[in-house]
Amino acid sequence: MKRLKDLKDNGDKAFVAYIMAGDGGLDKLRGQVEYLQTTGVTAIEIGIPFSDPVADGPVIEEAGNRALAEGVTLDKVLLEMESWDFNLKIPLIVMTYLNPVIRYGAERFAESCKEAGVSAVIIPDLPFEHQQLVEPYLKKTGITLIQLVTLTTTENRLEDILAAAEGFVYAVTVTGITGVRDEMTQEVQEFMKTVRSKSPVPVYAGFGISKTEHIEMLRDDVDGFIVGSAIVKAFHDNKIEDIEPLIHAVTQRNPV
Amino acid sequence: MTKVKICGLQEEVHVRAASAADAAGFVFAPSRRRVTVEQAAHLADELPGSVEKIGVFVNAELDEVLAAVREVPLTMVQLHGDETDEFIRSIPVKVIQAFSVRDIEDVKKLEKSIADYVLVDAPGIDFRGGSGRTFDWSLLEKSSIDPARLIVAGGLDSANVGQAIGSLAPYMVDVSSGVETKGKKDADKIKSFIKTVKGDSMQQATGTENVTGFFGRFGGQFVPETLMKAVKELEAAYAEAKEDADFQADYHKYLKEYVGREQPLTYAARLTEAWGGPKVYLKREDLNHTGAHKINNAIGQALLAIRMGKRKIVAETGAGQHGVATATICALLDLECVIFMGEEDIRRQQLNVFRMKLLGAKVESVTKGSATLKDAVNEALRYWVTNVEDTHYLIGSALGPHPFPTMVRDFQSVIGRETREQILDKEGRLPDVILACVGGGSNAIGMFHPFVGDESVRLIGVEAAGEGVDTARHAATLTKGTEGVLHGAYMKLLQDENGQVQEAHSISAGLDYPGVGPEHVHLEDIGRVEYKAVTDEEALASVIKLSRLEGIIPALESAHAVAEAEKAAAAMGPEEILIICVSGRGDKDMATYAEKLEGLA
Ligand SMILES: Cc1ncc(COP(=O)(O)O)c(C=O)c1O
Repeated sequence: MKRLKDLKDNGDKAFVAYIMAGDGGLDKLRGQVEYLQTTGVTAIEIGIPFSDPVADGPVIEEAGNRALAEGVTLDKVLLEMESWDFNLKIPLIVMTYLNPVIRYGAERFAESCKEAGVSAVIIPDLPFEHQQLVEPYLKKTGITLIQLVTLTTTENRLEDILAAAEGFVYAVTVTGITGVRDEMTQEVQEFMKTVRSKSPVPVYAGFGISKTEHIEMLRDDVDGFIVGSAIVKAFHDNKIEDIEPLIHAVTQRNPV
Repeated sequence: MTKVKICGLQEEVHVRAASAADAAGFVFAPSRRRVTVEQAAHLADELPGSVEKIGVFVNAELDEVLAAVREVPLTMVQLHGDETDEFIRSIPVKVIQAFSVRDIEDVKKLEKSIADYVLVDAPGIDFRGGSGRTFDWSLLEKSSIDPARLIVAGGLDSANVGQAIGSLAPYMVDVSSGVETKGKKDADKIKSFIKTVKGDSMQQATGTENVTGFFGRFGGQFVPETLMKAVKELEAAYAEAKEDADFQADYHKYLKEYVGREQPLTYAARLTEAWGGPKVYLKREDLNHTGAHKINNAIGQALLAIRMGKRKIVAETGAGQHGVATATICALLDLECVIFMGEEDIRRQQLNVFRMKLLGAKVESVTKGSATLKDAVNEALRYWVTNVEDTHYLIGSALGPHPFPTMVRDFQSVIGRETREQILDKEGRLPDVILACVGGGSNAIGMFHPFVGDESVRLIGVEAAGEGVDTARHAATLTKGTEGVLHGAYMKLLQDENGQVQEAHSISAGLDYPGVGPEHVHLEDIGRVEYKAVTDEEALASVIKLSRLEGIIPALESAHAVAEAEKAAAAMGPEEILIICVSGRGDKDMATYAEKLEGLA
């Protein structure tokens, strides 16, 4: 995860790609990761399907349902990742809801993540005050628990969360769920500025980022972007090449 | 922290009690606690992935051990015989080698073990090694064995385990006979042993001993960050309103003038006679305006929303009773109202859908998942996340993130408070048994709460067994569920071994939910409330009984409580008193009754 800081120090922007593990079959995952690596993304977030993904919009929920129908589980995804022998140069981040982790056992989850080569974990329904349930085990195995902040995060809370942040901060760009969106408001820009001015680690904007206009609007106020639904949809439609301009808009047009 | 192994498990109830332990042992060696590989595989299914599944063998063939590892599957193997080092090396999972310790020679032997862990026990009489007697712990204190490899067994129980941990600081303690009563495992003893060793681990982990929002280790606020502000604001606003006499007066005024409280506690003379047991009383929530207890809560929350400056309401509904109650109160108080309802429930409860629309609410059909209550809650939560700044989520049961379970309980406690006064008035004493049906658990917790401190009153919650708790089609979360997080709370869930939430099934839309409120899980955990399950068929039979004997057509949900009451009554005498909470009336279920009870003579 140190790479992320180096990137920021160089003034480069990060692109984190989210994919749903097992959408189209778990045997697809490896190829998807290898492909994304060639496009120059900074890190890859691997989503674990869950029966009740309340933070997600229809695109990711449906991808999750397809993966569940294929029999994909947390255990299988981690085992698949553990088996990879290709040259992986970028960090892998697991994004999962809390219940599968509890069922699996938080300590065992941390150990299996380590064996699978996972660098960081995002759990959207594990709020800051309950992180003791999982965080100590991740810490023991050297894995980062990524903190989320949102437009509704109050000031005091923002400070507490940022003080605990490691790796990067996930700044949610919408008051709502994940999904492809048209507009980004002025308010978001202000929010990113505030978070960035206070954060000890890079700040990445996510939820709803799906167009180059979004990136242009927020580029100067964040250290990177997280793109989910647009990528999940492109993989599902077999049109993943269409996403490359979005990736390049982030990673290649660096300010001089 | 020292880990706990519960050994010699043979029955599902005990396995479930052991699910908060770190390891479960299945004995494959000749013993009265012996199980087959098939039985062990079945029992292991009940355990979360975090619990080690350990097979116990004495001089078995390697093939037999390997087959059990594969088929149960076992995550560790425990050997009590004369197995060689080569044998130990051939086992693909971690190995525990057991030693009976009589003297220092035995200690020397165990120090040489190549196994991952060594288990020390007193010399055996049951099968080799499992005597149930303690050995001389001081023998080990001088040993060079690494405590991180040490498992202590032999006569441990809740009373002496603290001492064993204090003097040896082992990796794990192993208990079997110490959690038995008359030679059989005892679920309460298993739970209390685990608590003795681990304390309330969930509380420790979350540091919430002094923080509200947890019932024992259940509850909490497991919601996305976007909702945290709203949840905290609600927590503060409710804490304030609860103490505000004007707010309480307002709420009670609506209960009296609009809902029509207080509701009678009706003596059911013919039911009493027919059952031939205790005196039966019915708490008449069916007489509330809109036909069920749901409105008690809807009024309280709507008033709170207005107090917080929110004039938009979103709610989920299963049977439609909560949706109707919410739509009603929104009409009365001029609030905007969106109700999410599963497509399947819309089909089952058409009358209520029409009522909501007539009252001016927008009814959104949810087609995802099982298209029932769970999915409606998901959609309502998504809607709330998106509109959180001006919208209150008016949750319909004692579920969700804190403060909802507490707040809904408080608003429904009017049921139990009235009942308490009424029975004291009529009989001059407290009842012996009270029953209420449990979906998310709001009518039950409202009825039970004022009686929880009265030890003499037996409280029974009744869940839906659907087509039977041993089929895949039921909604008996407390009877069959396991611990997990859904819709904002750590509670019990119907879920598979990978933590995917399963669909619930009940003929009654209001009980068709795969979770149950955190306070109920706690009350079950500490043994204060018993939870039973009643099938679709039994509930339907009780609909007829109550209709014909008392002239009261109950809601399908309430009929579950009636069915269980009949069973409880069979063991009670005429000097005893039994109360049933009739949570709602059957109008909404008339289409189902017409279909299922067709040809009724
Ligand atoms: C009449 C009636 N009783 C009981 C319930 C179950 O809910 P709870 O367990 O919250 O009381 C419902 C739910 O819709 C209901 O309509």
